[in-house]
Amino acid sequence: MQRKNKRKNNFSHGSRRRKILPVVFLLFSLLLMVLPLESPVASVKAMLSYIFIPQIRAAHTTVEYGGEVSQTVRSLLNVHQENERLKEEMERLRLENAQAKEIFSENERLTHSLQLKAPKGWQGIWAKTAYREPTQWNSVIIDKGCSDGIEERAAAVALKGQTPVLMGVVIECAENTAKVLLLQDEDFSAAVYALPSEEEGLLVGGSNGSLLKMQYLSVLSELQEGEKVYTSASSSIFPAGILVGEVESVEKEPEYATAPFAKVAAAADSSLVRELFILVREEMKK
Amino acid sequence: MTTVLKLFLSFLCATICHWALMTVFGEIGVTVNIMLIFSMVVCAYLKPEYGYPTAFLGGLFLDFFGVKLFGCHAFIFTLCACAVYGMEKRLDMDGIIPQIISIFFLSLAASLFNFLLLKVFTGFSAWGGFWPFIGGITLNAALAPFVFRVLRHVFAIERKMS
Repeated sequence: MQRKNKRKNNFSHGSRRRKILPVVFLLFSLLLMVLPLESPVASVKAMLSYIFIPQIRAAHTTVEYGGEVSQTVRSLLNVHQENERLKEEMERLRLENAQAKEIFSENERLTHSLQLKAPKGWQGIWAKTAYREPTQWNSVIIDKGCSDGIEERAAAVALKGQTPVLMGVVIECAENTAKVLLLQDEDFSAAVYALPSEEEGLLVGGSNGSLLKMQYLSVLSELQEGEKVYTSASSSIFPAGILVGEVESVEKEPEYATAPFAKVAAAADSSLVRELFILVREEMKK
Repeated sequence: MTTVLKLFLSFLCATICHWALMTVFGEIGVTVNIMLIFSMVVCAYLKPEYGYPTAFLGGLFLDFFGVKLFGCHAFIFTLCACAVYGMEKRLDMDGIIPQIISIFFLSLAASLFNFLLLKVFTGFSAWGGFWPFIGGITLNAALAPFVFRVLRHVFAIERKMS
Protein backbone atom coordinates (compact mmCIF):
# COMPACT_ATOMS: atom_id res chain seq x y z
CA MET A 1 0.00 0.00 0.00
CA GLN A 2 2.88 2.29 0.96
CA ARG A 3 4.67 1.38 -2.24
CA LYS A 4 1.55 2.17 -4.22
CA ASN A 5 1.25 5.64 -2.67
CA LYS A 6 4.90 6.30 -3.34
CA ARG A 7 4.46 5.43 -6.98
CA LYS A 8 1.45 7.69 -7.12
CA ASN A 9 3.45 10.61 -5.80
CA ASN A 10 6.20 9.95 -8.29
CA PHE A 11 3.73 10.18 -11.13
CA SER A 12 4.47 13.74 -12.00
CA HIS A 13 1.78 16.23 -12.51
CA GLY A 14 3.21 17.33 -15.90
CA SER A 15 3.56 13.86 -17.26
CA ARG A 16 -0.07 13.08 -16.38
CA ARG A 17 -1.22 16.16 -18.17
CA ARG A 18 0.99 15.24 -21.09
CA LYS A 19 -0.86 11.98 -21.48
CA ILE A 20 -4.33 13.22 -20.73
CA LEU A 21 -4.36 16.23 -23.05
CA PRO A 22 -3.94 14.43 -26.37
CA VAL A 23 -6.40 11.77 -25.34
CA VAL A 24 -9.00 14.40 -24.48
CA PHE A 25 -8.47 16.27 -27.71
CA LEU A 26 -8.43 13.12 -29.81
CA LEU A 27 -11.61 11.86 -28.20
CA PHE A 28 -13.29 15.20 -28.57
CA SER A 29 -12.39 15.51 -32.24
CA LEU A 30 -13.40 11.91 -32.84
CA LEU A 31 -16.75 12.62 -31.26
CA LEU A 32 -17.15 15.65 -33.48
CA MET A 33 -16.54 13.43 -36.48
CA VAL A 34 -18.54 10.41 -35.45
CA LEU A 35 -21.56 11.59 -33.56
CA PRO A 36 -24.54 12.99 -35.38
CA LEU A 37 -23.97 16.43 -33.99
CA GLU A 38 -25.26 18.53 -36.80
CA SER A 39 -26.98 21.11 -34.67
CA PRO A 40 -24.29 21.30 -31.91
CA VAL A 41 -21.60 21.43 -34.60
CA ALA A 42 -23.48 24.21 -36.29
CA SER A 43 -23.56 26.02 -32.96
CA VAL A 44 -19.84 25.49 -32.49
CA LYS A 45 -19.21 26.73 -36.01
CA ALA A 46 -21.37 29.78 -35.37
CA MET A 47 -19.38 30.48 -32.21
CA LEU A 48 -16.08 29.98 -34.00
CA SER A 49 -17.15 32.29 -36.78
CA TYR A 50 -16.94 35.15 -34.27
CA ILE A 51 -13.29 34.28 -33.74
CA PHE A 52 -12.19 33.30 -37.22
CA ILE A 53 -14.16 35.53 -39.58
CA PRO A 54 -12.33 38.76 -38.60
CA GLN A 55 -9.04 36.99 -39.24
CA ILE A 56 -10.21 35.85 -42.63
CA ARG A 57 -11.22 39.40 -43.42
CA ALA A 58 -7.78 40.56 -42.31
CA ALA A 59 -6.17 37.90 -44.50
CA HIS A 60 -8.31 38.93 -47.44
CA THR A 61 -7.41 42.56 -46.91
CA THR A 62 -3.73 41.60 -46.72
CA VAL A 63 -3.91 39.62 -49.96
CA GLU A 64 -5.85 42.36 -51.70
CA TYR A 65 -3.39 44.95 -50.44
CA GLY A 66 -0.51 42.77 -51.61
CA GLY A 67 -2.21 42.40 -54.97
CA GLU A 68 -2.72 46.12 -55.19
CA VAL A 69 0.92 46.73 -54.29
CA SER A 70 2.12 44.41 -57.04
CA GLN A 71 -0.36 45.99 -59.43
CA THR A 72 0.82 49.45 -58.38
CA VAL A 73 4.44 48.44 -58.89
CA ARG A 74 3.53 46.92 -62.25
CA SER A 75 1.65 50.04 -63.27
CA LEU A 76 4.59 52.18 -62.10
CA LEU A 77 6.91 50.11 -64.26
CA ASN A 78 4.43 50.47 -67.09
CA VAL A 79 4.32 54.21 -66.48
CA HIS A 80 8.09 54.32 -66.88
CA GLN A 81 7.89 52.38 -70.14
CA GLU A 82 4.94 54.47 -71.29
CA ASN A 83 6.86 57.61 -70.40
CA GLU A 84 9.78 56.45 -72.54
CA ARG A 85 7.42 55.58 -75.38
CA LEU A 86 5.66 58.94 -75.12
CA LYS A 87 8.99 60.73 -75.09
CA GLU A 88 9.96 58.95 -78.29
CA GLU A 89 6.57 59.72 -79.80
CA MET A 90 6.89 63.35 -78.74
CA GLU A 91 10.29 63.53 -80.37
CA ARG A 92 8.88 61.96 -83.54
CA LEU A 93 5.94 64.39 -83.51
CA ARG A 94 8.30 67.29 -82.99
CA LEU A 95 10.22 66.22 -86.06
CA GLU A 96 7.02 65.75 -88.01
CA ASN A 97 5.82 69.14 -86.87
CA ALA A 98 9.06 70.74 -88.02
CA GLN A 99 8.72 68.94 -91.35
CA ALA A 100 5.11 70.05 -91.63
CA LYS A 101 6.11 73.64 -90.92
CA GLU A 102 8.80 73.41 -93.54
CA ILE A 103 6.37 71.95 -96.05
CA PHE A 104 3.82 74.62 -95.19
CA SER A 105 6.28 77.45 -95.71
CA GLU A 106 7.53 75.81 -98.90
CA ASN A 107 3.96 75.53 -100.10
CA GLU A 108 3.45 79.21 -99.35
CA ARG A 109 6.61 80.14 -101.21
CA LEU A 110 5.70 78.00 -104.18
CA THR A 111 2.22 79.47 -104.30
CA HIS A 112 3.79 82.90 -104.60
CA SER A 113 6.29 81.54 -107.07
CA LEU A 114 3.55 80.41 -109.39
CA GLN A 115 2.67 84.04 -109.89
CA LEU A 116 6.17 84.75 -111.20
CA LYS A 117 6.40 84.71 -114.95
CA ALA A 118 9.48 84.98 -117.12
CA PRO A 119 9.86 88.25 -119.05
CA LYS A 120 9.30 88.20 -122.78
CA GLY A 121 12.18 86.56 -124.62
CA TRP A 122 13.22 84.61 -121.53
CA GLN A 123 12.42 81.13 -120.39
CA GLY A 124 11.96 80.44 -116.67
CA ILE A 125 12.82 77.19 -114.91
CA TRP A 126 12.12 76.61 -111.25
CA ALA A 127 14.83 74.84 -109.32
CA LYS A 128 15.45 73.97 -105.68
CA THR A 129 18.69 74.56 -103.86
CA ALA A 130 20.02 71.07 -103.42
CA TYR A 131 23.33 71.68 -101.80
CA ARG A 132 25.28 74.54 -100.37
CA GLU A 133 29.01 74.19 -100.01
CA PRO A 134 29.90 74.71 -96.37
CA THR A 135 33.07 76.60 -97.18
CA GLN A 136 31.61 78.54 -100.07
CA TRP A 137 28.48 80.33 -98.91
CA ASN A 138 28.44 82.52 -101.97
CA SER A 139 27.35 79.74 -104.28
CA VAL A 140 24.61 77.13 -104.27
CA ILE A 141 23.97 74.02 -106.28
CA ILE A 142 20.50 73.61 -107.71
CA ASP A 143 18.65 70.42 -108.60
CA LYS A 144 18.20 71.26 -112.26
CA GLY A 145 20.85 71.16 -114.93
CA CYS A 146 21.49 71.25 -118.65
CA SER A 147 18.99 68.46 -119.27
CA ASP A 148 16.31 70.75 -117.88
CA GLY A 149 17.26 73.62 -120.17
CA ILE A 150 19.53 75.51 -117.83
CA GLU A 151 22.68 76.99 -119.33
CA GLU A 152 25.72 78.81 -118.07
CA ARG A 153 25.34 82.56 -117.53
CA ALA A 154 21.62 82.16 -116.92
CA ALA A 155 20.15 84.56 -114.34
CA ALA A 156 18.99 83.23 -110.96
CA VAL A 157 16.06 85.04 -109.42
CA ALA A 158 14.23 84.43 -106.15
CA LEU A 159 11.07 85.76 -104.62
CA LYS A 160 11.10 88.08 -101.67
CA GLY A 161 7.53 88.21 -100.65
CA GLN A 162 5.98 88.64 -104.04
CA THR A 163 8.80 90.63 -105.56
CA PRO A 164 11.38 88.91 -107.76
CA VAL A 165 14.90 89.74 -106.67
CA LEU A 166 18.23 88.95 -108.29
CA MET A 167 20.12 86.12 -106.59
CA GLY A 168 23.03 85.33 -108.88
CA VAL A 169 24.17 83.74 -112.09
CA VAL A 170 24.68 80.15 -113.21
CA ILE A 171 28.39 79.56 -113.55
CA GLU A 172 28.56 75.81 -114.01
CA CYS A 173 26.03 73.49 -115.55
CA ALA A 174 26.04 69.71 -115.25
CA GLU A 175 23.55 67.18 -116.57
CA ASN A 176 21.17 67.39 -113.63
CA THR A 177 22.62 70.11 -111.44
CA ALA A 178 23.97 73.59 -111.82
CA LYS A 179 26.05 75.93 -109.69
CA VAL A 180 24.80 79.43 -109.07
CA LEU A 181 27.20 82.18 -108.06
CA LEU A 182 25.34 84.45 -105.67
CA LEU A 183 25.59 88.19 -106.03
CA GLN A 184 27.36 88.43 -102.67
CA ASP A 185 30.45 86.89 -104.22
CA GLU A 186 33.15 89.35 -105.22
CA ASP A 187 33.43 87.72 -108.68
CA PHE A 188 29.83 88.59 -109.42
CA SER A 189 29.06 91.61 -111.58
CA ALA A 190 25.98 92.97 -113.33
CA ALA A 191 24.96 96.13 -115.12
CA VAL A 192 22.40 97.93 -112.97
CA TYR A 193 20.59 101.21 -112.64
CA ALA A 194 18.99 103.01 -109.72
CA LEU A 195 15.62 104.59 -109.50
CA PRO A 196 14.53 107.32 -109.44
CA SER A 197 17.89 108.88 -110.32
CA GLU A 198 18.26 106.49 -113.32
CA GLU A 199 21.94 106.37 -112.59
CA GLU A 200 23.65 103.39 -114.24
CA GLY A 201 26.67 101.51 -113.01
CA LEU A 202 28.30 98.15 -112.57
CA LEU A 203 27.34 96.17 -109.53
CA VAL A 204 30.00 93.91 -108.09
CA GLY A 205 29.81 91.55 -105.15
CA GLY A 206 31.19 92.54 -101.80
CA SER A 207 34.06 90.68 -100.28
CA ASN A 208 33.74 88.88 -96.95
CA GLY A 209 30.06 89.53 -96.58
CA SER A 210 30.26 93.27 -96.99
CA LEU A 211 27.76 95.30 -98.98
CA LEU A 212 27.62 95.20 -102.79
CA LYS A 213 29.36 97.92 -104.65
CA MET A 214 27.87 99.97 -107.51
CA GLN A 215 30.79 101.31 -109.50
CA TYR A 216 31.45 103.58 -112.46
CA LEU A 217 28.89 106.16 -111.53
CA SER A 218 29.06 109.44 -113.34
CA VAL A 219 30.97 112.21 -111.68
CA LEU A 220 27.85 114.31 -111.44
CA SER A 221 25.81 111.47 -110.11
CA GLU A 222 22.66 112.40 -108.22
CA LEU A 223 22.33 108.97 -106.68
CA GLN A 224 20.76 109.11 -103.24
CA GLU A 225 20.58 106.77 -100.30
CA GLY A 226 17.53 104.53 -100.28
CA GLU A 227 17.21 104.33 -104.04
CA LYS A 228 16.25 100.93 -105.44
CA VAL A 229 18.73 99.24 -107.71
CA TYR A 230 17.53 97.13 -110.67
CA THR A 231 19.20 95.11 -113.38
CA SER A 232 19.83 97.12 -116.49
CA ALA A 233 18.60 96.39 -120.02
CA SER A 234 22.18 96.81 -121.21
CA SER A 235 23.08 93.54 -119.50
CA SER A 236 23.06 90.57 -121.81
CA ILE A 237 22.80 88.10 -118.94
CA PHE A 238 19.98 89.48 -116.82
CA PRO A 239 16.56 90.66 -117.89
CA ALA A 240 15.98 94.32 -117.15
CA GLY A 241 14.07 95.55 -114.12
CA ILE A 242 14.84 92.85 -111.58
CA LEU A 243 15.32 94.25 -108.11
CA VAL A 244 18.88 93.88 -106.85
CA GLY A 245 18.97 95.93 -103.68
CA GLU A 246 18.90 99.35 -102.10
CA VAL A 247 21.53 102.07 -101.95
CA GLU A 248 22.95 102.30 -98.46
CA SER A 249 25.40 105.10 -99.04
CA VAL A 250 27.11 107.05 -101.83
CA GLU A 251 30.83 107.52 -101.34
CA LYS A 252 33.89 108.66 -103.25
CA GLU A 253 36.86 106.48 -104.08
CA PRO A 254 39.69 107.41 -101.71
CA GLU A 255 42.23 107.31 -104.56
CA TYR A 256 40.14 109.07 -107.16
CA ALA A 257 37.97 111.48 -105.25
CA THR A 258 36.10 112.42 -108.39
CA ALA A 259 34.74 108.87 -108.98
CA PRO A 260 31.81 108.17 -106.72
CA PHE A 261 30.48 104.71 -105.93
CA ALA A 262 27.50 103.40 -103.94
CA LYS A 263 27.21 100.71 -101.34
CA VAL A 264 24.20 98.57 -102.03
CA ALA A 265 22.44 96.19 -99.65
CA ALA A 266 21.23 93.09 -101.48
CA ALA A 267 17.47 92.68 -101.50
CA ALA A 268 17.63 88.93 -100.98
CA ASP A 269 19.14 87.07 -98.09
CA SER A 270 21.15 84.36 -99.80
CA SER A 271 21.17 82.15 -96.72
CA LEU A 272 17.39 81.80 -96.84
CA VAL A 273 17.07 80.96 -100.50
CA ARG A 274 15.21 77.68 -101.12
CA GLU A 275 13.94 77.95 -104.69
CA LEU A 276 15.43 79.78 -107.59
CA PHE A 277 13.81 80.87 -110.81
CA ILE A 278 16.43 80.43 -113.51
CA LEU A 279 15.93 82.74 -116.46
CA VAL A 280 17.48 81.60 -119.74
CA ARG A 281 17.47 83.86 -122.75
CA GLU A 282 15.59 82.12 -125.51
CA GLU A 283 18.07 83.38 -128.09
CA MET A 284 20.80 81.76 -126.07
CA LYS A 285 19.00 78.44 -126.31
CA LYS A 286 18.74 78.69 -130.04
CA MET B 1 0.91 34.44 -19.18
CA THR B 2 3.29 36.03 -21.64
CA THR B 3 3.55 32.76 -23.49
CA VAL B 4 -0.23 32.48 -23.75
CA LEU B 5 -0.48 35.99 -25.08
CA LYS B 6 2.35 35.41 -27.55
CA LEU B 7 0.76 32.15 -28.57
CA PHE B 8 -2.61 33.78 -29.08
CA LEU B 9 -1.17 36.59 -31.19
CA SER B 10 1.01 34.27 -33.23
CA PHE B 11 -2.00 31.99 -33.76
CA LEU B 12 -3.93 34.96 -35.15
CA CYS B 13 -1.02 35.82 -37.44
CA ALA B 14 -0.77 32.20 -38.54
CA THR B 15 -4.45 32.08 -39.51
CA ILE B 16 -4.03 35.27 -41.53
CA CYS B 17 -0.90 33.92 -43.22
CA HIS B 18 -2.59 30.60 -43.87
CA TRP B 19 -5.54 32.23 -45.59
CA ALA B 20 -3.40 34.69 -47.49
CA LEU B 21 -0.99 32.01 -48.78
CA MET B 22 -3.89 29.69 -49.56
CA THR B 23 -5.31 32.45 -51.74
CA VAL B 24 -1.99 33.16 -53.44
CA PHE B 25 -0.88 29.55 -54.05
CA GLY B 26 -4.43 28.41 -54.72
CA GLU B 27 -4.14 30.21 -58.05
CA ILE B 28 -1.50 27.71 -59.15
CA GLY B 29 -3.35 24.76 -57.66
CA VAL B 30 -1.07 24.19 -54.67
CA THR B 31 -2.50 23.96 -51.15
CA VAL B 32 -0.15 25.22 -48.51
CA ASN B 33 -0.95 24.37 -44.87
CA ILE B 34 0.56 27.04 -42.66
CA MET B 35 -1.65 26.03 -39.73
CA LEU B 36 -0.11 22.56 -39.68
CA ILE B 37 3.42 23.98 -39.78
CA PHE B 38 2.57 26.49 -37.10
CA SER B 39 1.01 23.88 -34.80
CA MET B 40 3.94 21.51 -35.24
CA VAL B 41 6.51 24.23 -34.61
CA VAL B 42 4.65 25.25 -31.45
CA CYS B 43 4.71 21.61 -30.37
CA ALA B 44 8.42 21.44 -31.12
CA TYR B 45 9.24 24.51 -29.03
CA LEU B 46 6.62 24.62 -26.27
CA LYS B 47 5.31 22.32 -23.60
CA PRO B 48 2.38 19.98 -24.31
CA GLU B 49 0.06 22.26 -22.30
CA TYR B 50 0.49 24.77 -25.12
CA GLY B 51 1.20 22.42 -28.00
CA TYR B 52 -1.86 20.17 -27.89
CA PRO B 53 -4.47 22.93 -27.59
CA THR B 54 -2.73 24.83 -30.37
CA ALA B 55 -2.75 21.79 -32.64
CA PHE B 56 -6.37 21.07 -31.80
CA LEU B 57 -7.50 24.65 -32.36
CA GLY B 58 -5.41 24.91 -35.52
CA GLY B 59 -7.18 21.86 -36.87
CA LEU B 60 -10.51 23.19 -35.75
CA PHE B 61 -9.78 26.38 -37.68
CA LEU B 62 -9.43 24.33 -40.85
CA ASP B 63 -12.50 22.30 -40.00
CA PHE B 64 -14.43 25.47 -39.58
CA PHE B 65 -14.03 26.15 -43.29
CA GLY B 66 -14.51 22.53 -44.34
CA VAL B 67 -17.93 21.26 -45.28
CA LYS B 68 -17.47 17.51 -45.21
CA LEU B 69 -16.17 16.28 -41.90
CA PHE B 70 -16.04 18.53 -38.88
CA GLY B 71 -13.27 17.59 -36.45
CA CYS B 72 -11.16 15.77 -39.03
CA HIS B 73 -8.30 18.26 -39.06
CA ALA B 74 -8.47 18.69 -35.29
CA PHE B 75 -8.02 14.94 -34.95
CA ILE B 76 -5.16 14.78 -37.42
CA PHE B 77 -3.36 17.80 -35.97
CA THR B 78 -3.61 16.32 -32.47
CA LEU B 79 -2.17 13.07 -33.77
CA CYS B 80 0.66 14.98 -35.47
CA ALA B 81 1.28 16.82 -32.20
CA CYS B 82 1.57 13.44 -30.49
CA ALA B 83 4.11 12.43 -33.12
CA VAL B 84 6.15 15.59 -32.57
CA TYR B 85 6.21 15.15 -28.80
CA GLY B 86 7.01 11.49 -29.32
CA MET B 87 10.12 12.16 -31.37
CA GLU B 88 11.26 15.40 -29.77
CA LYS B 89 14.19 13.74 -28.05
CA ARG B 90 15.33 12.02 -31.22
CA LEU B 91 15.29 15.05 -33.49
CA ASP B 92 17.29 18.25 -33.33
CA MET B 93 14.69 20.77 -34.37
CA ASP B 94 17.24 23.59 -34.56
CA GLY B 95 18.67 22.29 -37.81
CA ILE B 96 17.10 23.33 -41.08
CA ILE B 97 17.26 19.87 -42.63
CA PRO B 98 15.46 18.10 -39.72
CA GLN B 99 12.87 20.88 -39.78
CA ILE B 100 12.24 20.39 -43.49
CA ILE B 101 12.20 16.59 -43.27
CA SER B 102 9.93 16.45 -40.23
CA ILE B 103 7.41 18.89 -41.71
CA PHE B 104 7.55 17.10 -45.04
CA PHE B 105 6.65 13.75 -43.49
CA LEU B 106 4.11 15.25 -41.09
CA SER B 107 2.39 17.01 -44.01
CA LEU B 108 2.48 13.81 -46.00
CA ALA B 109 0.99 11.82 -43.14
CA ALA B 110 -1.61 14.50 -42.39
CA SER B 111 -2.72 14.66 -46.02
CA LEU B 112 -2.94 10.90 -46.41
CA PHE B 113 -4.79 10.59 -43.12
CA ASN B 114 -7.13 13.35 -44.19
CA PHE B 115 -7.94 11.47 -47.42
CA LEU B 116 -8.45 8.30 -45.44
CA LEU B 117 -10.77 9.84 -42.84
CA LEU B 118 -12.82 11.59 -45.49
CA LYS B 119 -13.15 8.37 -47.45
CA VAL B 120 -14.08 6.35 -44.39
CA PHE B 121 -16.54 8.76 -42.82
CA THR B 122 -18.06 10.46 -45.82
CA GLY B 123 -17.07 8.35 -48.83
CA PHE B 124 -15.74 11.50 -50.42
CA SER B 125 -12.39 11.47 -52.22
CA ALA B 126 -10.40 14.66 -51.72
CA TRP B 127 -7.62 13.55 -54.07
CA GLY B 128 -6.84 16.51 -56.33
CA GLY B 129 -4.01 14.99 -58.33
CA PHE B 130 -0.41 14.04 -57.72
CA TRP B 131 1.28 17.37 -58.46
CA PRO B 132 -0.97 19.56 -56.28
CA PHE B 133 -0.55 16.95 -53.54
CA ILE B 134 3.22 16.74 -53.72
CA GLY B 135 3.48 20.48 -54.42
CA GLY B 136 1.57 21.35 -51.24
CA ILE B 137 3.70 19.02 -49.12
CA THR B 138 6.94 20.32 -50.64
CA LEU B 139 5.86 23.90 -50.16
CA ASN B 140 5.02 23.18 -46.51
CA ALA B 141 8.46 21.69 -46.05
CA ALA B 142 10.11 24.64 -47.78
CA LEU B 143 8.27 27.15 -45.59
CA ALA B 144 8.99 25.25 -42.39
CA PRO B 145 12.45 26.72 -41.63
CA PHE B 146 11.02 30.21 -41.93
CA VAL B 147 8.17 29.44 -39.49
CA PHE B 148 10.64 27.74 -37.14
CA ARG B 149 12.87 30.79 -37.24
CA VAL B 150 10.05 33.24 -36.59
CA LEU B 151 8.55 31.27 -33.71
CA ARG B 152 11.96 30.57 -32.19
CA HIS B 153 12.47 34.29 -32.14
CA VAL B 154 9.00 34.88 -30.64
CA PHE B 155 9.29 32.17 -27.98
CA ALA B 156 13.01 32.45 -27.39
CA ILE B 157 12.60 32.75 -23.61
CA GLU B 158 10.09 29.98 -23.40
CA ARG B 159 12.04 27.49 -25.40
CA LYS B 160 11.40 24.00 -24.13
CA MET B 161 14.88 22.68 -24.87
CA SER B 162 16.72 25.38 -22.99
